[in-house]
Amino acid sequence: MEFDWSEDDRKHRAEFRAFLGEFLPDDWEQLAEGGPGSDVQAAFSRRFCRELAARGWLTQHWPEEYGGKATPPWRHSIIGEECWANGEPRGPQYMNVNWIGPAIMRFGTDEQKAHHLPLISSGEVLWCQGFSEPEAGSDLVALRTSARRDGDTYVINGSKIWTSYVNHADYIILLVRTDPDSDKHRGISVLLVPMDTPGIEVREIPSVVGERYFHEVFFSDVRVPTSVRLGPEDEGWGVVSYALQYERVGAARYARAALTLDRLAEHARERGLLEDPLVVDRLAEARTLCEAARMLTYRVIDERAHDHPPSTHTQLARVANTRADYAVGELTVEILGADALEYGSFADANFRLAMTAGVAVGATEVQLNLIAARHLGLPRG
Amino acid sequence: MDFELDDDQREILGAVERLLERHAGQPRATELAAKAEYDHALDEALAEAGFDEMVDLESRSGALEATLIVEAIARAAGVTSFAAHALVARAALGEAVDGPVALAAGDPSAPIRFGAHARTLLRVDEDDVRVVPLEGGDAEPVASNFGYPLGRVTEDALARGRALGAGSGATLRCWWRLAIAAEAVGTMRAALDCTVDYLKERRQFGRPIGSFQAVQHRLADCSVRVEGSRFLVYEAAHSRAPEEATACAAAFALESARLLFRETHQLSGAIGFTREHPLHAWSMRLHALGSELEGVRGHRRALARARWGVS
Repeated sequence: MEFDWSEDDRKHRAEFRAFLGEFLPDDWEQLAEGGPGSDVQAAFSRRFCRELAARGWLTQHWPEEYGGKATPPWRHSIIGEECWANGEPRGPQYMNVNWIGPAIMRFGTDEQKAHHLPLISSGEVLWCQGFSEPEAGSDLVALRTSARRDGDTYVINGSKIWTSYVNHADYIILLVRTDPDSDKHRGISVLLVPMDTPGIEVREIPSVVGERYFHEVFFSDVRVPTSVRLGPEDEGWGVVSYALQYERVGAARYARAALTLDRLAEHARERGLLEDPLVVDRLAEARTLCEAARMLTYRVIDERAHDHPPSTHTQLARVANTRADYAVGELTVEILGADALEYGSFADANFRLAMTAGVAVGATEVQLNLIAARHLGLPRG
Repeated sequence: MDFELDDDQREILGAVERLLERHAGQPRATELAAKAEYDHALDEALAEAGFDEMVDLESRSGALEATLIVEAIARAAGVTSFAAHALVARAALGEAVDGPVALAAGDPSAPIRFGAHARTLLRVDEDDVRVVPLEGGDAEPVASNFGYPLGRVTEDALARGRALGAGSGATLRCWWRLAIAAEAVGTMRAALDCTVDYLKERRQFGRPIGSFQAVQHRLADCSVRVEGSRFLVYEAAHSRAPEEATACAAAFALESARLLFRETHQLSGAIGFTREHPLHAWSMRLHALGSELEGVRGHRRALARARWGVS
């Protein structure tokens, strides 16, 4: 075991921090607090990712044949940590580089790879994820959006829900049912659909999380060539399972929570609240949760660095990140009192991100089911 | 970064686990606890096999290797002060002292883990440490239900010994916190394994209890806490017990220990409280470990001091 960063990793982090310090605008914190769905942050994310790409940092963990430098997973995780701690200036593009790109590498045709991977690795493209449906949330297999084959064309009908970033996205990675007679894992396919295809309609779902955070996406006789399908027809579940293993730990929530907590401790000091041992106790407790989440997340990255197949380490890390996020979010509101209630304030912006932690990219209960079955080997109910 | 054991570590761990299979384990712990006895035979076996000094604490990952041994002994419910004499004393003093070793702080009249059997007491006094040699008659056994033999050391004995000097108290506290956290990790792992095994077998309402989702989620939450504690401990050990990392590991592990006690007992039902069922050998100890160095609130205070300079 080795828990020190290598000299190269340290240098890499220092360089990246210096870059962030230089490149993030002075009013970045206000921009970031608008949330990743806001117009201004989406526009900034395009500029930011282009710059990352130009410096070879956006997809350095990708294989060389796809424009990466095949750096160890740790290198990319350092960027993830620093970005999340700073309000994720990559916006939705963290999804592209963490799992959509790798899924295309694994399952894509030569044409798909040639088209999509350079767009992703140059930071030119925004993606969103069309998985959940009104009747298919945690139980994703229940999805009903259909893609009926008409020669070399799919005709898509149905709707997706809870979609983030869709208002700015160029593409949607879409789960559809290609076999109408099946309601099981088989019969699902993955399509890579350009968002400007006629027949797609987007409606915002106003929410307390933030502006343009959730959307519903409607598909009415949307026609796309079958060549947009990723992986074999009717066997998209395997593609998604592969992608989700990478998605579920993509977000370094612990890094943002830990930084928020340090700032909260400063706020508490300014208000004289560090004299209160109960406040100190709660701050320290939250810190332990962030640190435990960091170690469990590192363990997932380590598993990848050793080229082991993804295991339940992923779910353990996800649950730990959720616990940390909630603890810091709740404490921030409690300690800052009424000031926390003002929209766009430090506490409010943090709380709005933290409160989705247990639901975003798969409910905590589903993660716990997987831990019980696969990590503890408990019998099925 | 590398979260996997290297060959040396795997070998050390394998060797100590084989030794513990022969010389420790829950039935032995239960038997010794009934008589409030200390396991001198286990200490001898560990010393003979060279584990006390196998690990060079000055080497790059020596402290981590010693910590792995401490964790393994706790999993096997060993009744030994190995954590105190082979890790804490050696690391904090830079030399070995006569074992068994007891560690104490705070109220001098409070019972001390291994106090009645120790030949050396390390007593933290503010920022200093007193190294107190103990002889027969210096301590009285104290009956306890919490899985370790306890003793109360006389005032006369406490007045003896040599002081190590300013700064030694802080250093010793760090290593002590690491040791408690490592023992808690080994103990929690065993308590959880024991409970999971039982719940796979025990049937009610025509199915194994462990198949109920209400039970599964609670056990899954326990494993998140146990695995998180483990790696916080390993990282703190690897970096040779700095204040922030050890306080963080101990605060998280001992808070987790409270959850583990509650959940393993609740889910095991009445049988879990009996001496015929193995759970008590680990579960009761979790609270004993949680009482040292002012417990979770002491660890959290130390963490806040190290992290945010809270006085």
